[in-house]
Amino acid sequence: MSASGTVDQSVAAEAHQNSIASKSPFQLAIARFQRDRVAKFALGIITFYVLVALFAPVICAVLGISPYRLDGDALNDFGLPKGSFGGISGEHWLGVEPGTGRDLLARLMYGARVSLFVGFMATIVTTAIGIVVGVISGYKRGKIDAVIGRFTDLTLAFPSLLLIIALTRPITQRLESFGIPEGNPARIAYIILISAVFGWVYVARIVRGQTLSLREREFVEAARASGAGTWRIVFKELMPNLWASVIVTVTLSMPGYVATESTLSFLGLGMLPPTASWGAMLGDSVRYYRADPTYLFIPGIALIVLVLAFNIVGDAVRDALDPKADRQNIA
Amino acid sequence: MKKRRISAAIGFVLVASVVAAACGGGSDSGSEGGTPQKGGTINILSSAESIAHLDPQRNYTGDDLAFVGSTMQRSLTTYKLSEGDAGSEIVGDLATDTGTSSEDGKVWTFTLKDGIKFEDGSDITCADVAYGVSRSFATDVITDGPSYAISYLNVEGEYPGPYTATAAQQAAYDKAVTCDGNVITFNLKSTVADFNYTTTLLTFSPVPKAKDTGEKYDMRPVASGPYKIESYEIGKSLVLVRNDQWDPETDSERKAYADKFVYNFGLDESAMDERMIADTGEDQTAVSYGILPENLQTIFEGDEALAKRAVNYYDPYVMYTNLNVKSLSCLDVRKAIYLALDRDALRKAGGGPYTGDFADGFVKPALALDYKKPTQLDGLNEDGKPNVEAAKAAMAAAETNCPEIAARAKDGLKFYYPDTEVWKKALAIWIDSMGKAGIKIKPEAVGDPAQYWPTVMNPETEYDIARGGWAPDWANASTVIPELFTTGGGFNLTRNADDPDYKTFETKIEEARNTLDRKEQGVKWQELNQYVVDRLWALPGTFTRAQSMWGSKVGGAFQWGPFGAFCYGNLWVK
Amino acid sequence: MFLFITRRLFFALLLLFAVSVVTYLLFSALPVDPAALTCGKNCKPELIAANRVRLGYDKPLVEQYWLFLKGIFVGRDYGMGQAAFSCPAPSLGYSFSQHECVTTLIGKTFPVTAFLSIGAFILWMFIGVGSGAIAALNKGKWQDRLANAFTAIGVSLPTFYVGLLVLFSVVIWLGILPFPHYESPLEDPVKFLNAMILPWITLAVLSAASYTRLTRNGMLEAMNEDFVRLGVAKGLTRRVVLRKYVMRSAMVPIVTIAGLDFAALLGGAIITESVFSLPGMGKLSIRAVVESDLPVLVGTTMVAAVFIVLANVIVDISYGFLDPRVREK
Repeated sequence: MSASGTVDQSVAAEAHQNSIASKSPFQLAIARFQRDRVAKFALGIITFYVLVALFAPVICAVLGISPYRLDGDALNDFGLPKGSFGGISGEHWLGVEPGTGRDLLARLMYGARVSLFVGFMATIVTTAIGIVVGVISGYKRGKIDAVIGRFTDLTLAFPSLLLIIALTRPITQRLESFGIPEGNPARIAYIILISAVFGWVYVARIVRGQTLSLREREFVEAARASGAGTWRIVFKELMPNLWASVIVTVTLSMPGYVATESTLSFLGLGMLPPTASWGAMLGDSVRYYRADPTYLFIPGIALIVLVLAFNIVGDAVRDALDPKADRQNIA
Repeated sequence: MKKRRISAAIGFVLVASVVAAACGGGSDSGSEGGTPQKGGTINILSSAESIAHLDPQRNYTGDDLAFVGSTMQRSLTTYKLSEGDAGSEIVGDLATDTGTSSEDGKVWTFTLKDGIKFEDGSDITCADVAYGVSRSFATDVITDGPSYAISYLNVEGEYPGPYTATAAQQAAYDKAVTCDGNVITFNLKSTVADFNYTTTLLTFSPVPKAKDTGEKYDMRPVASGPYKIESYEIGKSLVLVRNDQWDPETDSERKAYADKFVYNFGLDESAMDERMIADTGEDQTAVSYGILPENLQTIFEGDEALAKRAVNYYDPYVMYTNLNVKSLSCLDVRKAIYLALDRDALRKAGGGPYTGDFADGFVKPALALDYKKPTQLDGLNEDGKPNVEAAKAAMAAAETNCPEIAARAKDGLKFYYPDTEVWKKALAIWIDSMGKAGIKIKPEAVGDPAQYWPTVMNPETEYDIARGGWAPDWANASTVIPELFTTGGGFNLTRNADDPDYKTFETKIEEARNTLDRKEQGVKWQELNQYVVDRLWALPGTFTRAQSMWGSKVGGAFQWGPFGAFCYGNLWVK
Repeated sequence: MFLFITRRLFFALLLLFAVSVVTYLLFSALPVDPAALTCGKNCKPELIAANRVRLGYDKPLVEQYWLFLKGIFVGRDYGMGQAAFSCPAPSLGYSFSQHECVTTLIGKTFPVTAFLSIGAFILWMFIGVGSGAIAALNKGKWQDRLANAFTAIGVSLPTFYVGLLVLFSVVIWLGILPFPHYESPLEDPVKFLNAMILPWITLAVLSAASYTRLTRNGMLEAMNEDFVRLGVAKGLTRRVVLRKYVMRSAMVPIVTIAGLDFAALLGGAIITESVFSLPGMGKLSIRAVVESDLPVLVGTTMVAAVFIVLANVIVDISYGFLDPRVREK
């Protein structure tokens, strides 16, 4: 695997510097990533979250907790958790939900299933569409770019949040009539779908912008001059240079989709009971900032830690993939 | 009718229960004494985006009736603007007294006072009152208002209201409501012994025909009370200033202490409570209707100074659950649902005992003449805990008596609920407790709480279970049981018309309505309450309580019994 | 350049036309009967039918759309007799729940949203670009990590959560400011500022985050560019290189997004306005959603679209100035 122009030289130089002559740029990237301890730790956190989400039912069974079981005894007369720190106890490690006494740890773990699924799926769909459209638009230019451009403009011209809210009910119903199971599956499908409808544009615009200036660059022109085909140029020359900005966008947008879910939940358009989701927990917990502040922070911290991990990993991957990363920096 | 605050969902006007003013809700306490003084500005904090309707003929929300009725609009009669039981007594308002009825209670006359004026200085005449009442017939423009004038007045033929009536139609109305100088006479279709309570509703407020802007009158009605509108901006504020044409000599009830009222709309509910607790600056002269359940402990048991500025009282409402009797045409299944329901957990989720007491029927004890504790269902725990064994037994009975309905219950019953955090928790409790009796619940969320009533009241909506909440329009169960359970009722969500017992029930309702002796009538309502409880067309929930707070510089902050709200017009600044 | 601008403006108009068609179709497809919403529980079928005629909902969709379009230019009258009313041009329709012409409603609420957007925009650009630059210049050091954490919080937490946290912490826990209460700046500048400062901070915290990242990464990338290295080699001072080359190059994607974000905000900051009780266009919209007030929904969507499309034009034009390579082609 090799790249042309400046990239080639830099890889060669780096390979020489590290005395590892036979490694591909990808392997080099992995090697670079592995040197970043913070990033490795962050990756560990993401893995942990995913595992917890996947095995939530098993973990809950082992711990003897359930996200649905009511526990009126854990609540006082006002329906608030008994004891300090939101009813944290040996039985309920993170306390209980005010009003119902449901175990918060169990709900957090089950909630991760919904929220991570929504976040990952929306990100994957959005990014995939965005990259394809962006690269085509930026590289082909001309008529195709113009058509896509108008389409992008049209999509962007709508106030997305307003439409997301206004269309929740009708589109969810329509999805149900298309055979997606009623209730939560249809609601989850809606969030992913609507995120993609409004989200791809942002990825596409950035990718297009990058592609536009990249295709004018010497190494691309050189590749074109040497007779490389479109596909080759796109995959071998453009994509490696696009990853950086795409990854930044992705790591920034993934939590945004989790936030969308919670905003809908906050507006009364979220998951149906008794399903747990982080969005529903965030929406519910803000009401208890005075009566039960522990509850307020649990879903918030869980989300921030995950997003922080995503950002660190995203940065590290970006740095690792950047062919020029180890070159001297003027700053 | 609409009750204002129920849960925290920002940006949404929450409609909690349907209907209006009731009588005799016992209020516990008010703000402590001091001598009322004139001047200052009273601020009202609200999460709503506007007053539901300022147009007197369209106003049908307890809190709004209390606000508009005590400040801007006068009616023929009014509840006394007083604390405690006195607040349930009526006196003449625009009328000199509480009216006189003919022997058979079918003709009512009221004499208007002298010196009563609109804000523009013109005299309020009998014609203005008659015109105001006639507007309530124009249900295409004058929406959402009470329909008592329509159902009581003896207007021959169809009368579509003054905007589109033909000369003949208008003449028919003018025969039912006649003016003779300053005496107004109402001819009724049948006996209404307490019609002078009906006339406390703002349906009977005067509207000057020349100033009637139809649909738009809602934004700028002409005042007859001590205050008039200075500015009104939906989503922002309503400012009331003194109406110098109002003559205190003509009004025994409204004291008009404050110079100004500022109604602040669209506030976040949590922030409202915080502002009331913090009690700084302008909020010291503010009042707010309702307290969020999560703040009850802080306010009532955390700090005595806070508890002094808050009131916890029985409001006029009964909260209950409607069962679709058409789809659940099997008493055993309905019994199983009631027995399995963890009412205690539901009450806890709503804020505990402050939510209210477990209801034993649909008539609140405050309606003393009409209330007698109904015999409860066998096996029902009075402490609200579920009786799972009895529920299972009822389901078993259903399997043999009506296997189809039992199978339906096992397969899943559609529960329509407003998609708010509070209701999501309530649904979780429903799902959990029904599951223990082998009944499945399919949650059907109504995204916009404001669309909840329109959704479930739509005959095409196929719910099995829906919520309900009601308060009497005045102290007579005639404004409760027929409204909730007859096909002609304004708020019947039980779809009980095909129930084998319905015909008997309707006959008994007619009997009760036509009983002239109020005590005798009361006994009949007691029996009918029992009749409904026995058939479980709906499941009694709670006789609700409500809580409200006011600033440290507000005087006269008591709960006005009939409306379960502040007596706004008589608040004063310390 | 002139031709370029004229062409863009022409396309912008076409685009707005397309937006109006899609918006109208989209909302007409909603499963609500606008006529049924004009009356409450006393609604009889014949009444709904009458109101349908009065509002023009009985006409075929194309004609309805045509009336709507015509209304924008010549105004529109509804109904007849005493219950009649008219909305002068530019009319976007009539709101039955608010008893007001949609244009009037938007005119009343827009200033609030504009004040909110402008203040928030200035604040977030300063914070975002500033912290991004600091992070880039201190890559890998604590400043960088801190900026990263700030970004994480900003992009991950939903607006309502941050907004309420800001409100509660500043007003309740710290007690620095009184509760915000919106007044027009002409009437009461102090109250106005007090009502605006927290929403500004909230929006800035949320929006600046992505700018921090974009600036940081844009600058890091630019620092490695050949033309920057050339500048260093030519002996230009670090300051000049940073300003003339690095910042300028990094600003290109930022300008794109900033323009769009700002325009989107002008269409109404739904959640922020709700949390802080600001009577702006966002609140108007959400109320319209709740009440299925279609004329208002169509109106606010259209106005929001106008801003976004305009911003697009401006962004495209300034793109030309910032990156000469684009214009030349």
